[in-house]
Amino acid sequence: MNESSQRPQVVAVPVEGDSGALGPVDNLSNASPTSGTPALVLTRVGLRHSDGPEEIVALDEVDLRVAPGELVVIIGPSGSGKSSLLAVAGALLAPTSGTVEIAGIELSGLRRSELAAVRRDQLGFIFQSGGLFPSLTAVEQLLLTAELSGQRPALQRERAEELLRDLGLGSRLDHRPAQLSGGERQRVAIARALMGRPALLLADEPTASLNRARSAEMVELLAQQTHRHGAAAVLVTHDPDGLSHADRVLTLVDGRLTGAT
Amino acid sequence: MLLARRDLIVAKGRFLLMGLVVALIALLGVLLAGLSEGLVDDGTSGLDALPLTHMAFQRGAESTFSRSFLPADSVDKLRGDGVKATAPMGIALFNATQERPGKTGQVLDVALAGVERESFLAPKPTSGGPLSGSGPAPIVISEQLANEGVQIGDRLLFGLDATPLTVVGVADVGTYGHVPMAFTDLPTWQQVTPGATTPAGRGLVSVAALQLDSSSNAPQRLNRIEQRAGVEIVSKKAAFNGSPGYAAETTTMSLIRGFLLLISALVVASFFTVWTVQRRDQIGLLKAMGASDLYVLGDAMLQVLILLVASTLVGTIAGIVLGAFVPAEAPFSLALPAVMIAAGSLIAAGLVGSLVAVRRVTSVDPLIAIGGPR
Repeated sequence: MNESSQRPQVVAVPVEGDSGALGPVDNLSNASPTSGTPALVLTRVGLRHSDGPEEIVALDEVDLRVAPGELVVIIGPSGSGKSSLLAVAGALLAPTSGTVEIAGIELSGLRRSELAAVRRDQLGFIFQSGGLFPSLTAVEQLLLTAELSGQRPALQRERAEELLRDLGLGSRLDHRPAQLSGGERQRVAIARALMGRPALLLADEPTASLNRARSAEMVELLAQQTHRHGAAAVLVTHDPDGLSHADRVLTLVDGRLTGAT
Repeated sequence: MLLARRDLIVAKGRFLLMGLVVALIALLGVLLAGLSEGLVDDGTSGLDALPLTHMAFQRGAESTFSRSFLPADSVDKLRGDGVKATAPMGIALFNATQERPGKTGQVLDVALAGVERESFLAPKPTSGGPLSGSGPAPIVISEQLANEGVQIGDRLLFGLDATPLTVVGVADVGTYGHVPMAFTDLPTWQQVTPGATTPAGRGLVSVAALQLDSSSNAPQRLNRIEQRAGVEIVSKKAAFNGSPGYAAETTTMSLIRGFLLLISALVVASFFTVWTVQRRDQIGLLKAMGASDLYVLGDAMLQVLILLVASTLVGTIAGIVLGAFVPAEAPFSLALPAVMIAAGSLIAAGLVGSLVAVRRVTSVDPLIAIGGPR
């Protein structure tokens, strides 16, 4: 059996007024969501792993559909499966059951390099404490994203600076992470996540290192930016503060998602 | 490769320290290359300067000058089969005593070659006269001996009988076995060299020099000549192995240089192993953002390449500068190809070593970016 027959065909979910298929896996980088294509679809996703003789159920039959421009906040206590959910939705970890679709691209069966291409072209990550590179300035954090996409960083400088200015960082363009406050670092992380024009932003406890006022401000900023750029966003947090800007708030307990999915 | 370049600047202390180590290895490599070249030059420049393509040794002498004795007339059997010219040559190492009226004789090391006065092997003096047309027992000395104070008209005493040879000329004839060469005619060489005349009075030589046309290099033709003359024929370069100490010196130097390259590969590999471990979280983050294995590998290798090329360049230039101050008496010679090979080998060894270290960047799990398995 040859490789192409083993690998599942990667197609977009057909939408009204759209031609439908995005084409073969090789064209992942060209795949962009249309207004009707959900940014993220999790269908009966399960994630189990063993811890000695014990089987741990990290995710249990999770269904989730996130539309473009929508901000979904998933809240849950420590150990509820939030990071597992983010890893699965972020094409970092394959579920043991169910399917994951990002911007119409079904992930099951994709090779490691193809998953990397999905992360690069369709996703924007906002990590805890920013996850910034210590040696790069704020603007260079964004230019690196452009470089990963095969674009010449110098040609993208204007857009990178514009994104940072939009987030109130106009005077901090050439500052390294160590020279920025916690809130500023998170704003750089948001700008970096938006730089590649992703279909979906995934934020992992982005307010963990911020005080209550800053946390609310950060969620508001994230909501504004996702709406402005037409990207969907999934934010996982254990912090119930500052959720009024979310379009939907879901709760994750023991790997089960509750609320309207 | 924005990250690779910026990391080099931000972590410049670490990279400068490592660069210094690589530069010192490069410097040592250049000095060893110069020493190797110098030793080869000092051991064989006299042979290299001779206008011949091959040498015929006594069969069974393992192409070693000191073991080979051929009847002087055996060269006649070498003619034909593309041999354009052939000439007998004797060579042996002596302690000669300088003799000049009014001066106490100094003892000199001399590699004395005996050739026919009119043969193509006869030296062409830069001052004084040639062997041909000179009186009995003439000797043409090297410029090195002239620099040691031997002048035209001096006499050099050779052998147990202190046979005097008169200096008639000075020529650029180089050295043999790290000893300055001098040329005399064949009968004189046979007279002063122990064992160069059979009890029956038949004259012997060490080797026969050959000038072969290119078509005669074919192994079958060489075999035919060897069978006919009962000799072993080797190329000029291969004949270097038969000069005193040549094989031992070149093998030793090659071993030292090989070990130096091995050490440099290990040093670079160690540094980048530690560096890669320190960058693990950063690499995980890059991969979570969608960087391909090729990108992270290229990113790491760019740092290696910049470090290796820059520090090798610095070390090589320092080696060349330092080489200029090596005393003239030391066997040291820096040629561009040798320097290029030394520098290139160091870069190649460093790349191979670091590749072993940095290939592990491809195995970093992007999951660590969100606190996955570490």
